[in-house]
Amino acid sequence: MTQKKTEEQNVSRRKFITGTIGGLAVGALAGYAGGIGTAPAGITREVTTTTTAAPAKRIKAGFIYVGPVGDFGWSYGHDRGRKYVAEKIPWLDTVYAESVPEAEAAGPIDKMVADGADIVLTTSFGFMDPTIAAGERHPDKTFMHCSGYKRSKNVGTYFAEFYQLYYLNGLAAGAMSKTGKIGYVAAHPIPEVIRHINAFVLGAREVNPKIEASVVFLFSWFDPGKTRDAAVSLIESNNADVLAYTEDSPTTLQVAQEYQDKGKPVWSFSHYSDMTQYGPKAHLTGQVVEWGLMYEYILSKLYAGTWRPEDSWARIGDGTGYKWKLPEAKSTAEAVEGTFETLPGQTDFYDNVVHLAPLNPAIPDQQRALIVRRYEEMKEMLFEPFTGPIKDQDGNVKLQAGQRATHDDLWGMDWFVEGITTKIPK
Amino acid sequence: MTAIDTAFAVSLLAHAIQAGTPLLLATVGEIYSERSGVLNLGLEGIMIMGALTAFLVSFRTGDIALAIVAAAIVGALLSLIHAFLSITLKANQIVSGLAISIFGLGVSGFLGRPLIGQIATKLQSTPIPLLQDIPVLGPILFSGDVLIYFSVIVSLVLWFVLFRTRFGLNIRSVGENPSMADSLGVNVDLTRYVCVLVGGALGGLGGAYLSIVYTPLWIEGMTAGRGWIAIALTIFAVWNPLGAILGAYLFGGVIALQFRLQAIGIGTETPQLLLMLPYFVTIGTLVLMSSATLRKRVGVPAALGNPYVRGE
Repeated sequence: MTQKKTEEQNVSRRKFITGTIGGLAVGALAGYAGGIGTAPAGITREVTTTTTAAPAKRIKAGFIYVGPVGDFGWSYGHDRGRKYVAEKIPWLDTVYAESVPEAEAAGPIDKMVADGADIVLTTSFGFMDPTIAAGERHPDKTFMHCSGYKRSKNVGTYFAEFYQLYYLNGLAAGAMSKTGKIGYVAAHPIPEVIRHINAFVLGAREVNPKIEASVVFLFSWFDPGKTRDAAVSLIESNNADVLAYTEDSPTTLQVAQEYQDKGKPVWSFSHYSDMTQYGPKAHLTGQVVEWGLMYEYILSKLYAGTWRPEDSWARIGDGTGYKWKLPEAKSTAEAVEGTFETLPGQTDFYDNVVHLAPLNPAIPDQQRALIVRRYEEMKEMLFEPFTGPIKDQDGNVKLQAGQRATHDDLWGMDWFVEGITTKIPK
Repeated sequence: MTAIDTAFAVSLLAHAIQAGTPLLLATVGEIYSERSGVLNLGLEGIMIMGALTAFLVSFRTGDIALAIVAAAIVGALLSLIHAFLSITLKANQIVSGLAISIFGLGVSGFLGRPLIGQIATKLQSTPIPLLQDIPVLGPILFSGDVLIYFSVIVSLVLWFVLFRTRFGLNIRSVGENPSMADSLGVNVDLTRYVCVLVGGALGGLGGAYLSIVYTPLWIEGMTAGRGWIAIALTIFAVWNPLGAILGAYLFGGVIALQFRLQAIGIGTETPQLLLMLPYFVTIGTLVLMSSATLRKRVGVPAALGNPYVRGE
């Protein structure tokens, strides 16, 4: 069977430009008439994958993004996943809508369904209720909502969870910090971010129990300028020399690189995608998500008729080897492919929905071996970062010796572990 | 002051100036536009297009000077659309400005797609010989980059032009009472065009500062609302370029201070309070400016936002 893939982007580009200029002209006319402007709506673009000899059954998947696909962060990562499945799966067509305001998701979802989408995937927490409502309006269609907790008979949920990788980052931080101070540039004080901060600090303190961490909150998911301000502040005012972050740009890594260039060793990480190019010297490792593998899994189940409204929470070890392996068809539960037998410089982490970015050769061999060992142990669920004894920053025991945090403990985490000097903002 | 306190203060102030520079460029530009009576709400779109242009040119050519000039030109061109709509066509300035902002954000996002994840040449700092060695002041004032020096010089020059020259008087009279200025032989439309274009060019430079100096990368929407902050700072500065220097550095300083306090663990339970400070001051200025006497005294452009139609 020969296949021909056509990306109809040129047409859509034209449409887009016409639309924008049209919008401007309308704005100008409205201005001329003394009218009042309206906020920009989401921009929709369509990319179709067509095959000349089409199989009998096709599936059309619609993706709803909260941000622009050009954010090099959250929505960019999801769109990379969409492209991955669009490229790989011959029976699939995809459409997407970007910069969709969370309150206005119903419109784009209904439009996608009207245009023949079999499944709509909504990729922001704020789309939760609109997705459930859409499931009720379109009972014969399938919906998947990313990062939420509400499900119904045709609405499932999925998420890729990073805390284990933040723990591994922490191991690297503990190995590299000379000042004994590490920093964290955090978006918002919400459980997901707190969980990642805690995991990072727990990892650092496994290597160096004396390490102290301070956290700076941006109160924004995306603002490269403020991120720079926060990162510089941690380095200059608190002498932090390893910085982790939860924010949708590579700015923290760039700042670390800038200090490296000035001769001061400061280190940072990748977030969502491999960002090594932004800090070739300062980049230690980091967390990377391959939503494509998740989407391949979800869509394959839908195609096979085995989809159920389940919660797919992808961590390292959540079904590794059979569920998330790349490529899925080749995977078996027994043989674990891609296990790193050789270490320095040639590790291959690209076998999970979530995986580590390349490890910097500057990390001493002993700690590098520890990172890889913990990674392998997590795959087998032999090691779990949130295993007691764990105390909070005020010295209260939160997890008894040997006790593992449950899904709900992790999901609702609202306390900082020992070693963090910052209080959680109220 | 102990050595540590001094080091903290020096680092903080140098940081404040750098963080304030994109705001300063954009604010001084907006002051010129508004002083002539044209409210330019397109600043966010102009800044982001400036950021994109600078990054694109730097990425393609590696020529940082060309990148800066190109950003200023693109900023001026975008503001030319606004000028044409609001001055020549007498369109509603608010709507035209918002349309420019939306247009700039959309187009930059689209054109910038291939630049995501790319690295471009960035503007290096140029410490001034001798002056940079002055204790305390050297590292704060004379260790920056050319755009920092330029932004201060241009603010001083534009202050001088606005308040000490014939042309500046024309600008202010056009923004204050265009029919009077017209009757005195001032070319209202031309004056406004010049001011809006100058404002756009400076807004483009403000954006360029972000993408080739402060956070040298391209990401869609990377100005993150700084255009709107600059519009607020215009009020804070009571339409005076010297006030803009104060306002922009204060704003940059408060952000830097707030993060530094968080970093060393002071006030970490309520870091939002300090962040609100500049906005409180802006609201306070607005309240003060509602007094007619005060408005007259500082010379708030009375015709701001009104298209000028001869004979009306």
